Order: sequence, then C-alpha cells, then structure tokens
Amino acid sequence: MNYLSEELNDVKIGLEIHFQVKGRKLFCDCKGEESDSELGSFMRKLTVVSGEKSEKDIAALQESMKGREYEYIKTENSCLVEMDEEPPHIPGTETLDTAIIVSLILGCKIVDNVHFMRKMVVDGSNTSGFQRTGIIGVHGKFKMDSKIIGITSVTLEEEASKKIREDEKKIVYSLDRLGIPLIEISTDPDIRSPKEAREVAQNIGLAVKQSGMIRREGSSIRQDLNVSILGGNRVEIKGVSSLSQIERVLTKEIERQESLLEIARVLKGRSVSTDLLLEDLTNSAFFTNSEIFTKGVSRGKKIYGFSLPGLSGVLNNGKFRLGKEIAERLRAVGIGGFIHSDELPNYGINEKAMNEISKRLGSKEDDAFGLVVLEPSKIEICVEIIQSRVREALNGVPAETRAAVENGTKYLRPLPGSARMYPETDIPLIPLNSSYIGEIETKVPPTVEKRVEYLESMGVPAQEAFSSLWKEYDDVLESFVKDFGTPKVCAKFLSVVYSSENPNLNKARYLTKRFSKGNIPSESLESLYLSGEFKLSESSKLTLLESNSFDYSIQLEDQLGVREIGPEFKMKSESSEKLVKIIEAIVKDNESLIRERGEGSFKLLMGTVMKQVRGQFEGKEISDTLSQKIRELLKN
Amino acid sequence: MSDALESGDKVEVQWKGTTFSGMFISKDEKITVIKLQNGYNLSLENVSISSINLISKYSPKNVVRGNLTGKGKRVFLLGTGGTIASYVDYETGAVKPAKTAQEMLYARPDLARIASIDAEIILNILSEDMKKSDWINIAKKVFEKVNQKEGVVITHGTDTLSFTSSALSFLIENPGAPIVITASQRSPDRPSSDAFFNLTGAVKVAQSDLGEVGVVMHSSTSDDTLDIHSGVRLRKMHSSRRDAFKSVNSEPIGTVDGNLNIHWKKYEKVNGKPTKLYDKLSEKVGLLYFYPGLSEEIFNKFTETNDGLILAGTGLGHISNRFLSQVKDYTDDGKIIGITTQCLYGEVNLEVYTTGRNMLDAGVIPLHDMLPEVAYTKLSFLLGNFDHDTARNLLAKNLRGELSERRTE
Repeated sequence: MNYLSEELNDVKIGLEIHFQVKGRKLFCDCKGEESDSELGSFMRKLTVVSGEKSEKDIAALQESMKGREYEYIKTENSCLVEMDEEPPHIPGTETLDTAIIVSLILGCKIVDNVHFMRKMVVDGSNTSGFQRTGIIGVHGKFKMDSKIIGITSVTLEEEASKKIREDEKKIVYSLDRLGIPLIEISTDPDIRSPKEAREVAQNIGLAVKQSGMIRREGSSIRQDLNVSILGGNRVEIKGVSSLSQIERVLTKEIERQESLLEIARVLKGRSVSTDLLLEDLTNSAFFTNSEIFTKGVSRGKKIYGFSLPGLSGVLNNGKFRLGKEIAERLRAVGIGGFIHSDELPNYGINEKAMNEISKRLGSKEDDAFGLVVLEPSKIEICVEIIQSRVREALNGVPAETRAAVENGTKYLRPLPGSARMYPETDIPLIPLNSSYIGEIETKVPPTVEKRVEYLESMGVPAQEAFSSLWKEYDDVLESFVKDFGTPKVCAKFLSVVYSSENPNLNKARYLTKRFSKGNIPSESLESLYLSGEFKLSESSKLTLLESNSFDYSIQLEDQLGVREIGPEFKMKSESSEKLVKIIEAIVKDNESLIRERGEGSFKLLMGTVMKQVRGQFEGKEISDTLSQKIRELLKN
Repeated sequence: MSDALESGDKVEVQWKGTTFSGMFISKDEKITVIKLQNGYNLSLENVSISSINLISKYSPKNVVRGNLTGKGKRVFLLGTGGTIASYVDYETGAVKPAKTAQEMLYARPDLARIASIDAEIILNILSEDMKKSDWINIAKKVFEKVNQKEGVVITHGTDTLSFTSSALSFLIENPGAPIVITASQRSPDRPSSDAFFNLTGAVKVAQSDLGEVGVVMHSSTSDDTLDIHSGVRLRKMHSSRRDAFKSVNSEPIGTVDGNLNIHWKKYEKVNGKPTKLYDKLSEKVGLLYFYPGLSEEIFNKFTETNDGLILAGTGLGHISNRFLSQVKDYTDDGKIIGITTQCLYGEVNLEVYTTGRNMLDAGVIPLHDMLPEVAYTKLSFLLGNFDHDTARNLLAKNLRGELSERRTE
C-alpha cells in the first residue's frame, strides 16, 4: 500500500499555522521586536498541579520527571509580566483587530467574547507554566482551487520563550520572544497528501499576510502538523519552520507510521510479552571491550540487560525501527544509550558475548534483548517506559507529539489530552459586539485573487504580482507603476529590491525614475541598486553615488573622464549603423531558426545580440532594430 | 432547557448558524460558557444562542485519595484564607482549593515526604478583610499546638500578612515550637507558583528550634532561596513580585536553600519557658498616616475614638505643628501617641528639629525603628492586656525583637 500518492483517503492531515503579529506584545507593553540585549537572569522550577481525576496530565508529568531547572535571560523587551511577576495587561486593540481580520479572511464566525484560557505547558518555555490563549474565530472555510479546507479555529495566544541552550539539569531560555502575539490557525483534517499540505499552508499564509500585520522575520511563521493514516492514531508534529519542510517531514512521517502498522501486523503472529526478565550484568565479562559500558560503570552506573520477548527483527531491520522508537522514549526522560540485540554485534560486544547474554536472559526464538547502563535509581522508570512502548507497538501507531527534525520526526512527549486548559482569571472577558465587528469588517483587505487581478490589469505579470503579495510590497509596486509606467520593469526590479534583507526604497525610486526618463540603460538598474556600479563597456562605467539616504547622483566614467550625469544625459551610443550591422549578421546566421519559429525567435536572438552589444546601445533601440530585421527577413 | 443544565453536562449548542458539542460550564443573565472538546471555553451571548440540547448528564468520577499522613516531624497547617494548595479539574477547568489535610496532601504530595501533616482551615477570607478578632482566633489555635511543642505553619494572604505576623508575635509569649507564616504571590494552581517552595520551606522551618514568629517567603525572583523574616520586622514592598517581603531595618533571621537546608543568622530559639497566650487586643487603637493638608476634623476623629494612636510621621517622625495642642490634650488625658516614620527605612528621631522637640514636649512616644503596622498591633496588644501606664512603659521597649539599636542599612 502506498500512502504517499496524492489524494489518498487513508491519510488525514490537519495544520496548525502560527503567525507572529507586529506591534506590542500580547499581554504587556513591551515591544514585539526581538532584542539581543541580556540584562541578567533568574532561575525557576515548575510543579505539576494535580488534577481532579487523580491523574496528572501525562504530557505535563513527563516533562516534570526530568526534574529540570529553568533559567530565564531578561532582555530589554521584557518586563515583570514576562517574568511572571506581574499580572497580564489587557491585549492591545491593534493586535485584537488583526486576529479578527485574519478570522474574517478565513471565513470564520467571530466569537461573542474573547475568553482567554491557560494551556498547561511545563517545558519551561512559558515562565507561568501555561500559555494564555483565546479563540477569536471558529468554523471557517478556506477555498483553495476547487477544494474547501475547513478552519477549526483562529486563536490569539502568546509566543513562548526562545530556547538558548539545554543540558540534563537545566534549560536556558531568553524572554525576548515570550509574549509576542501569535495567531494560530487550525485546519480541519481535510488535507490528503503532503503536497496538498504544503499548498494549503502557502495559500493560507498568502491570504493572511494581506492583513499587513504579520511579522516577516525568519522564525515568525511556524507550522505544527497533525497526521494520521488509516488504522493508526493522530500524531502531532511540532515546529516545522518552512513550507518545503512540510512536505518532506510529512512524507517521512507517513513512512514511519506505515512501518509501525506493519510491525504491529508482524507482532500479531508472535508471542510478544512485556514480562521483561531483568538482570544486573554489571559484573559480567561481556562488556570488557565495550567503551560505552565500561565508561558508564566507571562513573558508578550499572549495566542492566533485559529480555524483549517476541521483538527480534523489528527493532532495527530494514524499515522496521522499533528500537529507535524505544530509544527516543528513554531519551525523553534523560536515559540515553539504549542498545538492543538487532544492532549487535557492535559497540565492542561480539557475537559470542551476544549469544551468552541472550542465553542468560532466557531468550527464545523471536526474542530480542536490550541493554542499558545507568544509575540504579532510574532502572524502574526505564523498564516502565520500555514496557509501555512495546504494548503500544502491538497497536501500531501511538498517539504522540513529535518534533520536526531534518530527516523526519523525533519523539517529544505523549499527545496531551484536550483537558489541560482552565480559564485565565487575570484577564476579563473581552466583548466583541456586532458594531465593533462591523467596523473591523471594513478593514478586511481584498482577497489574494482580487488583488492579483488588479495588479495584472496594470500590466504586472501574474507571477510577480503573487510574489509582491507574498513579500508584502504590492502597494509599493502599485505606486511605482503609477508613477513611472513600465509595469514589467518595475515588477522585475522590485522583486530584486525585495529579495534583500533591508530594501532601500529611496534608492529604488531614484533609479526607476532616472530609468523611466530613458537616461540610463534599463539593464543597469539591478546592478546599480545592488553593487552601486554598472559596466557599460571595458572602458566606461556608471557609478551610483549616495550623498545621503535621500539624495543620489550617477557618475559616468569613460575616455572623456569622470563626470556626474544629470537627467538630461543621453547615452552616447556607438553609431546606429554599427548596431544594424551586428544584428544583420546575427539574423543572417540564424535564418533557418527565424523561418522555423517566426517572430517567436526574437527572444532567443535577443540574448545573442545582447552578449555582443550590452551597454553600448539603449535596450529599446536594440530590441526595435532586432524585431525590425526579423520581420524584414520573414517578409521576403 | 439550559436552565436545568448542570456544570459538566455534555451539550450541543446551535450558535450563529453553526453547531458545537462540548460541556456546559455555567450560565448567567448574559452569557453561557461552553467548554469545547479541545479544552477552550467559549463565552456565548445568551441572545445569540438558538438552542442548547443535553446530550448526556455529567457523572463526576469518584476521586480516590489515599490516606496519606506523611513521614517526618509533625507539622500543623493552619489555613486562614490564602490558598495553601489547590488542584485543577481539567475536565471542567475549575480550580478547587484544598480544604482538608487529605486534600492538601493530595494536592501537595511533596509535603508528605518531609513531614507528617495535620491541617485545618479556620478562616476563609481575603487578608484585607481580616479583623483583630481573627488574629485572636488564629492565636488561640496556634497556642494550642505550640503549647504541645508542635510546629505550626499558617498560610495567609499576602496583603496584611505582616499585621498578622506581628499580632501573633505579641499574643504568644515564649512559643514552645516554631510559628511560621507563609503565603504566595502566584496562586498555587499555576505550575510557576511560589507556593510550592514557600510552603515546603515553611514546613521545614516549622520543624526547627525557632522560638519566635517567622515568615518564610522568596528571597528573590528565583526559586532558589527563601528568606526567614522575623514576624515583627517585615513589610510587603512590592504589589506583585515573589520577593515582595523584605526585612526592614534588620536582616532576615535565616534563609532556606534549594535543598531545604536552613541557614540561621540571628534568631530566637525555643527557650523552654512556659508558653503564654494573651487573648485580647484593644479595638480602640488607630493608625494614622500623616499627610500635608490633613484636616483637624479627621485628626480629632482619630483622637476621639481611640485610646491609643500610632502616627506614621514624615521623615524623622514629624507631624504638623498645627496639631501640637490636640496632641498635648490627648496625652494629658492619659492616652498614648506612638511615633513611627512613613519612610520605608530608618529610625524616628524627634531631637533633631524643633517640631520633633515640640512633639516630645506634647507627650508623644518615639518608637525608634519600629514599623508603623508593628507599632499598631503592639499598642493594640498592650492596651488590650495591660493598664495604660504599663502600656506606655512597654510601647518603646523591645519585647519581641521589634526594634533595634543598630542599623547597618
């Protein structure tokens, strides 16, 4: 069965797309812009509070088992609110308006009141131990081509702290990012392939950016993915930061889930048991050549071996990687170095030792065994975790939260139940009455399609119109075209301008203006913008001088010396005769091509011509002459 | 239909042309709260809901809470209103305070590892609503325990904590076991709450040989050290930070580190003398913060209704010369005026300026570096249990460490 082909009903994918919102932080008056300054730090611990049902939230529990401390670095854009030392302030109107506009763009119904909740997060990424989040819009519909993707909800929440570094005992976070407003868009599980997932993310992204309030920085957009295949369980994948990663990660994850289902089918025919025979092998001779084990023992750890009944050949065999799954679970609670019989002989354990260990642990056919070297206090939890993962293997795909990594996904924690939220009592309900919503409806920007249509009507090519929307310079493009004409040149030039980190609009405007007067060659625009100079020929070049960021001039250097050129400057080109001669020769050489392709040969030949005459003549003169000569040839 | 619903019932709601299924939480005149399956609450206007249909009634699960008592030296937890411990019903989102010893140990199983715990909630009020009669009730309960050498931890709201700690310091003489007060600035339903470390540290201190009232709270914003303050030397210096409480005009009497080890500085040990309870506080004592423009009318009201008055004066302890004759009449009447400073740090000194000397001539008693709220509870204690002359004699004398001759900051 191939789960990767497109539009497979067996695959269900839902997206959670996060966008950072410009402006102030959500619950305080600090600036949202990131800040590198470090103003000291403080240390905290988090404690999981018991739930009514006499069981702690499993996800929360597991993080807390690590017994970690959290250090937080204060920054210039953080205050007592981020430190969890002052109650949250009421969210800013601009932020709230943006969340409503985004909800309306996605066809959602706006809630009557914003009711902020506390969502338990005990990995330390929030100083409070919870993330404040509230629903703004629900039950939307997003149209993409001929398909409609359901929008479960649009929520407004606070961004978590940025992890700086971590070790076994401590995670260090910066307060810089904590509290930046985040809009989370959750789709229904309507997506059927990794490719479609990428397209949905891209299209929703483009639609939402129309609000003009979405931050553009590298890390400001992130996706979480929910994916399940028929017969499996939902897996949540956290932290996918680029569109291309969506497709890659989903493809790998579906492969993983498929192989887990196959492992379950294999195990059905075996006698798998979680009765692990545990033995302390610290003093046995099996490990004398194994550095991993001897090193551990020298640090006071013990070597434990245990049988894994019925698991031979599924731990690490082709695409079967149950061993890796178990190792990831153990690592999540700080237990590393799980070794199993499918990967032996290796690590200084030879076949003989392997067979003896196997015998000692009472292994029968189909049985595997595992080895760990760790503190005796941890062996109980280690065995519990292995037993629980083996039990889950019998059912195929466990419901869990995983992290996106370069080559697929990695286990993070169990999938939290829905029941880990309770009301945020420090923030009153924020009413969104119909007159307020009515006012905001007037601020909803036109749809992407309408905007692209409009730019196309001005003469901007569709592709460049789209990218101007994606990079949010469509307004600039519109004004350039209105001021200077030449929509294609403006679109192409601005796409170059906006590919740089800090587009310099004054410079771009100056150059476009000089170009539109026909006084400098159009092909020099990009070069003058990017490097400040453009070679007309071996001996002459144009240089852009910047007297200040508002005032520019252009200098010409040729045989006659160096001088500034004004708007009255005309390219002193070689005689037109020379150009005609060059073009005639090229047309002649390519006669058969021209006859075959007709006027369509223009584009191909223009390149050839430019190679010979670039900078010596004005672009318009070159293209006019070439098309004239082609037509002449075709007439005869 | 929705009127018959109870919190926790599964319902289906028709709202603005769309349907939700979720859990009914509450309804008032204006708003119905529904908890969605993903945990979010929606607060819907009643007028925008077209229907709510019951899907199934809520059946609360029976909570089995073991019979924990804990291991270690016995400590009595006394709840007075500030939440000691709470637990969250993640199903309905309700935060419930622990009300019995069992519920407390259920919510705070870590306590059971260091002490055998007994607990009682004797008051459930906000600390700003506390009255002198409440201090007496707390003192009686505390006396009952410390008289039997059992350490007590009192949990309290932070707002008026230093009044209560001061009142208990005076009402209970020679406590036979530690009297420890603790609180939290972040409620204990939060994973980041300071209640966890504060309470555990307080229980440790309650197992020590401390022979006075101690207040255990965070030293800094970090969860690494607790200060143990003398109950008569502290003040809440910040409205929201964890390290709001500071010892004023003195050092904390000790600290508790992250491994719950106590590091004592200068503190009173249990001295083996008989523990004595004073069970009265005068209601006729007032505390007045002097300010420019204070009217004679208000000043007179204070003097008319009280037998004793603590003034928080400006700077070294001054009040306007306008009031000198009223002050003199009042003290001539045998009543008491004690002078403290409204400055956050330092001692009063009425010898430096003429105004001060005039005030002394008019019969006021300068109270050195005693904090105004401490002076207030002290005078209430003195006038409640002794005659006026004794009260006047003892007011400026050091009884419980409430004043000092030397200051280094």
